Amino acid sequence: MLVSDGSKDGSSGSSSLRSHRSDDGDAARRRKRLTTLTRPWLLLAPALVVLIGLLLWPLIQVGKLSLQDYVVKFGGGKGTYTGFDNYKELLTGELLWKTVLPNTVFFAFACVGLTVALGTAVALLLNRLGPTWKLICSVSILAAWAMPAVTGTYVWIWLFSPEDGMVSQLADSLGLIDAETTNWFTERLPFYAIATINVVHHGFPFVAITVLAGLLTIPKELYEAGEIDGANAWQRFWKITVPTIKPVFLVVTILSTIWDFKVFTQVFLMPGGSGSNPDVYNLGVYSYIEAFAKNDYGAGAAAAVLLTLLLLAITVVYIRTLFRQGEEDL
Amino acid sequence: MSVSKLPASLGRGRPRRRTSLAARVGLPLSVAALLVFTLFPVYWMVSTALDPKALTRGSDLLPSGISFEHFDFVFDRGNFGQYLLNSAIVGLATILAAGLLSLFAAIAVARFKFKFRTSVLIMILIVQMVPLEALVIPLFIQMRDYEMLNSLLGLSIVYIALSLPFAIWTLRGFVAAVPKEVEEAAYIDGASWFRMFWSVLLPLVAPGLVATSIFAFITAWNEFVFAYTFMKGSDKYTAAVGIFQFFGENTTSWGPVMASSTLVTVPVMLFFVVVHRRLGSGLAAGAVKG
Repeated sequence: MLVSDGSKDGSSGSSSLRSHRSDDGDAARRRKRLTTLTRPWLLLAPALVVLIGLLLWPLIQVGKLSLQDYVVKFGGGKGTYTGFDNYKELLTGELLWKTVLPNTVFFAFACVGLTVALGTAVALLLNRLGPTWKLICSVSILAAWAMPAVTGTYVWIWLFSPEDGMVSQLADSLGLIDAETTNWFTERLPFYAIATINVVHHGFPFVAITVLAGLLTIPKELYEAGEIDGANAWQRFWKITVPTIKPVFLVVTILSTIWDFKVFTQVFLMPGGSGSNPDVYNLGVYSYIEAFAKNDYGAGAAAAVLLTLLLLAITVVYIRTLFRQGEEDL
Repeated sequence: MSVSKLPASLGRGRPRRRTSLAARVGLPLSVAALLVFTLFPVYWMVSTALDPKALTRGSDLLPSGISFEHFDFVFDRGNFGQYLLNSAIVGLATILAAGLLSLFAAIAVARFKFKFRTSVLIMILIVQMVPLEALVIPLFIQMRDYEMLNSLLGLSIVYIALSLPFAIWTLRGFVAAVPKEVEEAAYIDGASWFRMFWSVLLPLVAPGLVATSIFAFITAWNEFVFAYTFMKGSDKYTAAVGIFQFFGENTTSWGPVMASSTLVTVPVMLFFVVVHRRLGSGLAAGAVKG
């Protein structure tokens, strides 16, 4: 819409330019004005087409689908509008309130809290290390970060696997569990505890590296002044570090929140996570299973819309933070 | 938070004045804990992949021997070479398209003042948070209707879209960091806009372009949901999905699972280690400058 307006301006600009060639100064000025007007839109056009076509348009479609009963037929599908039936079913179901939402929300908060706390602690640690150990630790953090969610999840499953997993055997040899009979993955709490370790392992490097970048911008004089005033390390952290790079903390917290609310792969790949154990559904997995395992695309879409609305609320906070942080920058 | 209890006098470049017991013990302990937490899963994956007796591995820290039989198995019986190739093709397509499109868009939003600029930025931020599970349903239906399921091109297009918002956001910081004066100097010397773009702006934002390319490639290389949902022909799997086939219903043969996991992970890790400095500055430009 806006894009095509822009390019139309551009073409009319060049044609008017040709007819006014006699008036050089005027034409040049007008040409300059038109290019300033159209150039940003020409530059944006390809990216906007992709974003609108593959992210925004499907998002509208999922809203539409959530109001339909969608039946798959040979070579295509057919949707019949059923009003808010899908939502009614979703919101009155016990599964949503007793299982799916608590799983999603508590899991996200646990992951965000641990990710940000650990990431910050590691950033402070890196900031105190000498060059050699700093490099060693940075590379090990990169390793955790670079591990794809898929393979990371397989490794954690393997470590906690019943009977032959290393952690299971260790716990067995310490007399904590019986490895033959204990399956960590069948119950909600241990299942999500393992998922939390997995997500934190994968997510804290981003926080550590971003917070470290922030720490490096804090003038040393602030700490020296604090030290002279008798502030201990704990006080210096809360009174100097946190307020000075508060925007960094806000951004990493909100980004982590957005990411952790929509964790899918890590839960889906764990034993029982792909549908056989409804106790461990989160909103993303629930939506996927309704759509693709039960072929109920409308119900899946309704759950997807609910997740999107949750994330939208968080994103509004994110955007307001960013705008407040650097008004002139935007 | 034992770390923050350390005296600040240990800070980089400053002379150590007093080293408390907590610092002398706490610092090495923290480093050790960090290294174990970050590296042990990686070690366990690689050593299981190399252990010929992976299934009876248990809690032995060292593998019972070193052998490449699990790797041979995933290539010979599991067609994993094809999956790695598919992932590489999709990843390269994503790098090229997302890099180019996001650079143009970043220049537009960082360099030009225009109407609806803020709206465009907000739209980019909003689509960045859209959950994949919300998109996978309508995109699956759309792709099916256009007969683009099971196509590497269809998957690449999705990945380009997925990596664009973050790429634009990161590159925007880099473009904004190039002083306007440099560009103006080029104009005064008589350079056209495209000449300025090619010889002045592009070299200066190259580190940012490298960072965004890495992210785009990794997005495509690691992605699971779309590849799992769209690619149903077993020769069209990407590597991340290809591991799934070694997962048994009741018993899993961990050797092949860990061998294929290693094949997916190690290239990304090498990539990260080689470019980590640029990665850091890329994130700093994107996240810190907002």
